[in-house]
Amino acid sequence: MTARSESVAPETVAETGEILARCNRSGEKVSIVGGATLSGMGFPPERLDVSLSTQRLSGIVGNERADLTIAVRAGTPIQSLTALLSTQGQSIPFDAPRPQYATVGGTLAAGWLGPRRHLCGRVRDYLIGSTIVLADGTIARAGGMVVKNVSGYDMSRLYVGSFGTLGVIVQANFKTMPLAKQARLFLARLPERTRVRACAQLAAAPMRPAAAFWIDGFHNAVDGDDGPEGRLAVLLEGSEALVERATRELRSALGRAGVPETRVLDAGARESFQRVVDAYVACLGERSVTYRIASSPQASEPSALRANELASRFELRTDTIVDVLNGDIILRVSDFDARALGAKIEPFDDALHEIEPRAQVIASEHPHRIYLRVWGEPPPAVAQMQALKTRFDPNRTLNPGRFVGGI
Amino acid sequence: MLRERLIAALGSDAVKTEPEDLAVYSFDAYTDGGRPAAVVLPKSTQEVSAIVKIARDCAEPIVARGAGTGLCGGAVPTAGGVLVSLMRMNRVLELDLQNRRVRVQAGVMNLDVSRQVAPQGLFYAPDPSSQQISTIGGNIATNAGGPHCLSYGTTVNHVLGLEVVDDAGEVFMTSIDDAGYDLTAALVGSEGTLGLVTSAWLRLLALPEAVRVWVAAFDEMDAASEAVSAIIAAGVVPTALEMMDAVIVAAVEAAFHAGYPTDAAALLLVESAGFEEDVAAGEAAIHAIVMAHGARYWKSARTLAERNALWAGRKGAAGATGRIAPNYYTQDVCVPRSKLPHALRAVEAAARSNQITVGNVFHAGDGNLHPLLMYDKSDARQVAAVVETGNVILQAAIELGGTISGEHGIGWEKRDAMTRIYSTADLAAMGRVRDVFDPRRMLNPEKIFPSGARCAEVTPP
Repeated sequence: MTARSESVAPETVAETGEILARCNRSGEKVSIVGGATLSGMGFPPERLDVSLSTQRLSGIVGNERADLTIAVRAGTPIQSLTALLSTQGQSIPFDAPRPQYATVGGTLAAGWLGPRRHLCGRVRDYLIGSTIVLADGTIARAGGMVVKNVSGYDMSRLYVGSFGTLGVIVQANFKTMPLAKQARLFLARLPERTRVRACAQLAAAPMRPAAAFWIDGFHNAVDGDDGPEGRLAVLLEGSEALVERATRELRSALGRAGVPETRVLDAGARESFQRVVDAYVACLGERSVTYRIASSPQASEPSALRANELASRFELRTDTIVDVLNGDIILRVSDFDARALGAKIEPFDDALHEIEPRAQVIASEHPHRIYLRVWGEPPPAVAQMQALKTRFDPNRTLNPGRFVGGI
Repeated sequence: MLRERLIAALGSDAVKTEPEDLAVYSFDAYTDGGRPAAVVLPKSTQEVSAIVKIARDCAEPIVARGAGTGLCGGAVPTAGGVLVSLMRMNRVLELDLQNRRVRVQAGVMNLDVSRQVAPQGLFYAPDPSSQQISTIGGNIATNAGGPHCLSYGTTVNHVLGLEVVDDAGEVFMTSIDDAGYDLTAALVGSEGTLGLVTSAWLRLLALPEAVRVWVAAFDEMDAASEAVSAIIAAGVVPTALEMMDAVIVAAVEAAFHAGYPTDAAALLLVESAGFEEDVAAGEAAIHAIVMAHGARYWKSARTLAERNALWAGRKGAAGATGRIAPNYYTQDVCVPRSKLPHALRAVEAAARSNQITVGNVFHAGDGNLHPLLMYDKSDARQVAAVVETGNVILQAAIELGGTISGEHGIGWEKRDAMTRIYSTADLAAMGRVRDVFDPRRMLNPEKIFPSGARCAEVTPP
């Protein structure tokens, strides 16, 4: 990374276009910054001349309350959008960490996958239109403000998860879903003997919870018993009647699994859930690296244990969140200081990818991050992806080297 | 040369070049056709790959085709070339019950997916009206919708990954769980212009424990469409929210005896599915809203037989219009849901001024209109009037902030209308994707991109 880079924060789409066109001509490399909450995903740009912030490209463009659609500028913080939507009984399941800082554009560009997606779908499935500024400064719109639209390629979804390597998302149009009337969080100690059965019961529950986590570590970061045993956190959402019924079912399922006692939280349930999501990318300064391992609901428990055992062989400390319903494993490995971690992290990364080839780094401030396989093994269609990058950004103006396959 | 090479690769049973065979594959459900040079019916991905390589050597364009139910000429070989029918690729390849997903070949019929997994308590959600004929491959090409997309979303929400044969005949795989660009999303809805989808992983959902269907009748179209807007605005999103006007109701009753009240100006068909508590609460809320908007009839179907009868009328509505006129043309536009009353008035006015009988049967909850314009193909005046009416409706939808296709696609028919909703720059961005996957413009040419859009059609990569 170049030491001195220029920071710009355009206020309009046109201004964004002018900046990119200029950089694209002059060969300056541009990185795009929203709330910088997910800057630990992917590689840092290999060269950086201009840092373009979307913070001033914020605000609501069109709030079509009766249509259950809303158009926002990319720099809008997730929390302010979510707060506005909840006042009108609506929501979009972003489930982004640190939503007070995270922006709509950044969350889309990072393709963030939240814990409620098994039930509500991915954020991409709420995106009905977009405006993007391409590397050469061209402003291109796609989709619109209707909930069904098959007019050419689905460009908006292509930009989701593209890490700013195809263009700068400047506006996003969403459909929304009705906000669940009630949320309830269950917290319980999860002794080792109950873990397998509890996770199986949750994955098979006819009334699927909105989210269910087995948490080991992350003390002080997330609610629940700070003791040595793992914790269980389950979020129920829905109408009052539904949450009552799900509560009864969940209690008996956990009882069958032998889970000791449960604490039920109604007030603050969503906030507690948010603290779990925040922990996904919480770093211990420079002395931690956090991986996301994609597994399946059935395989997540053994996969998580295997990854933990591997870390302990390297004498690394671990904190783990298992998203039981999506089969995601969030594994944070750390050591007592950055140097100690630096001595182990590369061999650990190699060994982890031998058992979990698709493991991705989602958070780290350690300088050795750039030597890790942060994207896991390359996807089968990487050649097509590289060709897309070349066609959209032949000069490699945008976020060069940040993405998969050197993109 | 082309014929011989195709026969050598696939056998003579899989290659058709006789004029009467070609004629069968010259049309989809759109009015105009175009003749292919050859029709091939591969049974495997390897055979599709071989076909593409041969066509490429012979400089022939390639058009993929499913069941041919598309309404906008998307599967019509307008530029000749090799037509690849995927109908023989109709096998279910892998059923992964634990992860609720299934991998099927492109030629598997939509409804067969749900039938296969129903014993396990699962179903495949997208349900276009053509689902008893249309294929998963065709559904993917058009990102097909259906009544239940209101709550479940369109095809793209249910495709987990694809196997694709590219323009050079090479096979590549995509998955929404892969790192990198979401190529799955780019390919769904690309109407065969970015590659030939040969198989797909589909997401399955658990069958709901409770399903209820209601019918509400109104004396005025306006009242019904305002009730729809009010239901959505109240944040009550049922599983399906369909509307039919008097013309359609009369035709459907005559054909199917679905049990609809025949003297209403408009009917709403509403389905709610999910947990018992929510379905019951939904019924109360929806009933209150439609009554407040002047509904004068309300019927609840509780048994499976009653529900199926109500749905049979809806699903067979287009066919039932055969009683009104020999031919019909279906327009497909989508508007913001609060603009439904305006859009329906515009449809009515356009039809009246062109002296065309119109029947409305559509996905009201999504704002997705399907006016059926009745006409007689042999009467040139009527044909011209239908084209004009369809065009006026398209323009009205655009002016209301809507789009030119909700779920049928652009195909051949609407490609020149793309410039009415997108700028040159917007289309050029799509053109860049095309440049990567089909630089020679040999995959389903003359579709999606406007005929005049040189920058999008001809830019060298």
